[in-house]
Amino acid sequence: MRRYETIFIADPDLQEDARKNLFDKYKNLLVQEKGILIDFDDWGNRKLAYPIKKKARGHYVCMTYGGTGVLVTELERNFRLDDKVMKFMTVLLEKDVTASALEAEIAAAAQQEEAKEATAAAQPEEVKEAAPAATDEAADEVTEVAEADTPEETKAPETKTAEAAQEEN
Amino acid sequence: MAFQKKNTKKRFFQRRKVCRFCADSTLEINYKDAKALRPFITERGKIIPRRITGTCAKHQRKLAVAIKQARTIAFLPYVGKLS
Repeated sequence: MRRYETIFIADPDLQEDARKNLFDKYKNLLVQEKGILIDFDDWGNRKLAYPIKKKARGHYVCMTYGGTGVLVTELERNFRLDDKVMKFMTVLLEKDVTASALEAEIAAAAQQEEAKEATAAAQPEEVKEAAPAATDEAADEVTEVAEADTPEETKAPETKTAEAAQEEN
Repeated sequence: MAFQKKNTKKRFFQRRKVCRFCADSTLEINYKDAKALRPFITERGKIIPRRITGTCAKHQRKLAVAIKQARTIAFLPYVGKLS
């Protein structure tokens, strides 16, 4: 299995629910084609460096996922058909990953998120003096957990392959 | 006379440029970080040669790929406008 990253630019003038439908469609497609969605990052409306379809702004979304080449071709085919997607680009991040390693990574990320929320919720309740120490401790725990959960072999090549990432088109 | 003059001019010492990415290993070349790539393109949007920026060959290659990827997804312009 390979790790890919796809950035696509959705139409900025879409209504909120139409946009949600669009995103759900691609999330479902990923699952259908036996891909593992690692991260779905919505960057929101951003200014484009040059106009695309006569629009100066675009709604950027960055998906990181594990899958095979079949999944990528299917995803890109759908992007081409969909006129709500203005542009897309897929980059290969890692050539050889196992599904279990990816799942461990997702779990670690979720745990980190949870801990972050917990500390954010706990902070206002405590007295100001006690708060910084408590959050520091919690933060330490979080990083330790994350490191323990993701095997080192997946962490190390990530940075290497990101640099060597190839352009798809 | 003229020859001598030319010679002295050539002696002009230029400060050696160092590769920014070699000097600071925490710097990463990533096509998503358009702000970090900006110093390596001209106002017109062209990639600046490494003889000017001082980037080493290894990092210039990666930089060029990153800039081209950033252009594809509209983080950087193909043609900048003259301001």
